[in-house]
Amino acid sequence: MFASRRLGKELTKMQGQLPPGITLVEADNLENWLLDIQVLDANPIYAGETYRLKFTFSQNYPIEAPEVVFVKDDTHSIPWHPHIYTNGIICLDLLDRSGWSPVHNVESVCVSLQSMLTSNTRKERPEGDENFVRYNTQRPRDINFVFHDNKV
Amino acid sequence: MSSPSPIPPPNDRRNSRASTNGGLPNEADALSEPSELRVRRKSKCLKVPPEMSALEYASRPDSNLVCLICHAPFDRPVQLLCEHYFCRECLEHAWAPQSNNRKTCPTCRRHVEGENDIRPVPKIIETMLDELVVKCPNSRTGCTWVDHRVNVHDHVMLYCEYTPIECPAADCRLHTTQKDFHKGCLHYTVGCEDCHTSLMKRDLEEHQRYLCLNRTTSCALCEAVLLRLDLKTHINNVCPKHVISCQGTIVGCKFRSERADVTQHEMACAMATMAPHFRDQQARLERHEARMEPLARKVGILEDGLANITNMLYPANANDASFPVADHLDPNDAAADFRLPPASFPHGAHGSDNSSNEPPFDSQVHHLLTLHENLREEVSRISTTLTEVEGRTNMMIINESQRNKDEMLHTNAAINNMRMQLHWLMSATIHQRTTSASTSTSRPSASTSAGTTGRSTTQGPSSRPGPSGTLPAPYRRLSDSNRQDTKL
Repeated sequence: MFASRRLGKELTKMQGQLPPGITLVEADNLENWLLDIQVLDANPIYAGETYRLKFTFSQNYPIEAPEVVFVKDDTHSIPWHPHIYTNGIICLDLLDRSGWSPVHNVESVCVSLQSMLTSNTRKERPEGDENFVRYNTQRPRDINFVFHDNKV
Repeated sequence: MSSPSPIPPPNDRRNSRASTNGGLPNEADALSEPSELRVRRKSKCLKVPPEMSALEYASRPDSNLVCLICHAPFDRPVQLLCEHYFCRECLEHAWAPQSNNRKTCPTCRRHVEGENDIRPVPKIIETMLDELVVKCPNSRTGCTWVDHRVNVHDHVMLYCEYTPIECPAADCRLHTTQKDFHKGCLHYTVGCEDCHTSLMKRDLEEHQRYLCLNRTTSCALCEAVLLRLDLKTHINNVCPKHVISCQGTIVGCKFRSERADVTQHEMACAMATMAPHFRDQQARLERHEARMEPLARKVGILEDGLANITNMLYPANANDASFPVADHLDPNDAAADFRLPPASFPHGAHGSDNSSNEPPFDSQVHHLLTLHENLREEVSRISTTLTEVEGRTNMMIINESQRNKDEMLHTNAAINNMRMQLHWLMSATIHQRTTSASTSTSRPSASTSAGTTGRSTTQGPSSRPGPSGTLPAPYRRLSDSNRQDTKL
């Protein structure tokens, strides 16, 4: 109830206006939303690319963080970033239990991810990406990430 | 909620008001008609105070008055030490999963010590929130009340005629509204006299006004009065104000306007005149295509069958013995199937025909591709044969040379043997000669022989048996080098 009311409000707001580079693609229900983000400055790693994000909300949103992953399909790839795995899972403290706060919202998460990409200069994957992608069966929210990098 | 209210209600006027207001009518009832007290109290109990977070606001509220957690204007807001404001309930929600001493401000993560860090908000904020204009929560069921938020509680609990309450009939458990309360129980089934559907009495009015198909209504566009039943067809086919496109739109006419204008336009529009013909043609095309598809499938099946039969009758015709089932895409087989009567199919003609014929393929490229595939198979088979042959020759050569080598070893051994014998003979003769010579000249020859021995130990190979003399030393070295030549 709490979640749906809040998501309804966010949706109404997002259907009105969104920051540049962020577009709402699909929000048919209050569980899964799809959004597209673009990096608008001239970062050569991401120039001209559009990435698709999938938000999954739990019943306890916004007390609990949404699950946010990049989606790979025919037209969208997973952005290169030392904290984004090939399967789209994002290692960002904001999305973790400890870093999340109910004052964040879908829009602010998108803006954070945008700036995380903007400031990146390394076209690489996280350490141990291959193993993680092959053997991970956990949902992103259950993974215990270690947040060691304070630069991003 | 784990704790009932960990945050002190900051001058919660609404709650206090609610309790007093809730009490008053009951007292009045009790005074005026004590007999109905029980029923009335029940009906009052049913009324639930409006939920603040679910209220609909008349205009978009000021974003400064919106709680960051629920995204709605504050409801009973409180202030943290860091001057961040939240609804009391939202804070409790946010802190529910956290333990008591780990509470932080959701915005800035500043630690919140205890109750003392949570303070009431300034009066001006309260006033601004009270003055927000909201719609009645019963607006769905027809209430048109719009007023300040501070009054919504009173309105819903006391005045709103659309607030659901329990039916006055003692044995009826359904809900009715305040406005229909005096009419008694309306929860009995009646039939609409226009459309003969049966429904509850309390819904009858709404049904007749908005839903009944056999009642007259007026078209929203052209204001023509007609039955609701016909409204849809009217709008789709007749209503002169309905916006439609020109009939010629299927051939590219872009004209789009109200029906009356479109009718006029169609008189002159060439594309609209042609449209029916085009539509006919289109329909015919589609029909033909639909009919063609099963036929094509049938032909395919028949071709397959025929190819199988031919293969069964003439297994030699198959292009490759390793393919028991004929590939009907193969040009050779296809040629056999289509160009020659199977009964008189000559074996030899197969190849010659293949070179000159025009196989019934859908494209030349396809034919070439199959040919290319065949050739590739041929080449790969040849290459495997080649490697096989090469391996066999290699083995043969290795065997041969092995035998030669063995023979050579034998010969070498024999030569060595002979050399040893020769040595032995030579040394024997030399020995004999020196002994005979030493008897005649014993003194001078002793020094010479010593010198020769010294030289030979420094220069000659080690496998020299017996003492060496003055004369044979160079001779023997010659023989030594000869032996090495032979060995090489």
